[in-house]
Amino acid sequence: MRRPFDDYLSRLRKALIGADPATIQDALSDAEEHLTTALEQALEKECGASPESVLEGIVQKYGAPEEVAAAYKEMEAMTTSALIRPRAAGPKSPVRRFFGVFGDIRAYAAVLYMCLSLVTGTIYFTWAVTGLSLSAGLIILVIGLPFLVLFLLSTRGIALIEGRLVEAVLGERMPRRPVFFRRDLGLWGGIKALFRDRTTWLAILYMVLQLPLGIVYFTLIVTLVAVSLALIVEPVLTYVFFLPMYQTHGHDFYLPGWSMPFVVIGGVLLLVATFNVARGIGRLHGRYAKALLVKGE
Amino acid sequence: MRDVDRKFQKELNAGTAALVLLSIVSRASEPIYGYQIARLMDAGTGESPMMKQGALYPVLRSLERMGLFQSTVEPSVAGPPRRYYRVTDDGRAALSRWVGIWNENKDFIDAVLKGTDHA
Repeated sequence: MRRPFDDYLSRLRKALIGADPATIQDALSDAEEHLTTALEQALEKECGASPESVLEGIVQKYGAPEEVAAAYKEMEAMTTSALIRPRAAGPKSPVRRFFGVFGDIRAYAAVLYMCLSLVTGTIYFTWAVTGLSLSAGLIILVIGLPFLVLFLLSTRGIALIEGRLVEAVLGERMPRRPVFFRRDLGLWGGIKALFRDRTTWLAILYMVLQLPLGIVYFTLIVTLVAVSLALIVEPVLTYVFFLPMYQTHGHDFYLPGWSMPFVVIGGVLLLVATFNVARGIGRLHGRYAKALLVKGE
Repeated sequence: MRDVDRKFQKELNAGTAALVLLSIVSRASEPIYGYQIARLMDAGTGESPMMKQGALYPVLRSLERMGLFQSTVEPSVAGPPRRYYRVTDDGRAALSRWVGIWNENKDFIDAVLKGTDHA
């Protein structure tokens, strides 16, 4: 069943082309919420009136799709420009950008995300694989289908939570509310829509892939940070605690004294490089999460 | 309404909408959702509404992003879930400051329009 304002929503979607997908999702769910409520209340007041005739007045007040889209785009432009601080005095040189990474909160956040991704990845992977295999096993029983539907619904919730995490930590704008379900489709229609929706399956794919990605991220960040820190404190370890660089077959190997400055400088460079890598991975992961978890147009 | 008038109204709204919404939501005794806010705004404006209702929602979201509002999504009996907004402590503080800024501007503009010397 089509709702009377479906045409309006598709015109709004068209008018929003070019905006951030997350903004589009926000705008469409706001419009859906408003029009549903307004229509309901108007029909209650004037029993017997046709929804189409009532809707005309409601849409008139809500604004033409182009006007509404323009309001969202303006707000998006203002917020984004407010969030991005103007660069001081022209573009920075690559060297300053490389070493300036310690002043960038995004780099620290990306390091945090890479550490966390092993935990979230394990949880998502377990949830997705358990849900899928239990659904497959139970499908021949009566409870099979309800179980599968509940599992698919749960992935939407997880997609939203992961989206919030990605926005908070990696700074990629993500939706602030879940994808709506059409109440008027009825139970069976709603279930069909759930199966047909690309985002359902992409969210499951994301959950499964998050474990290997999480392992790679976690290993990479822990190894790189540990090695850099070890190199930086190497002189202290050698001359204060008399710890060797490495031991084999009962032999201790110490680095020669003249190499200490190089070791420390190497450690600092490696740490800076690590933060740059983390910042890059964070940016890429944000884009990847958006591609998989947000409904594209 | 002529084009120039519409443009003037639009530019005027850009700043005042946030003040109006902040005031409406802070006066509500409990969390309030978009449609209710739109109704309250309509009640105050009468025949010619200050702005289209559809333009309210992006302002609500931007106020939330600024930390002046907090919102929760609750399922409704029929239809999509509703987003309920309520004002934060920061929002209340901002409102009292904004009212001050508004009054200063209003006095200034009134004075200019009346042609009195404003010095």
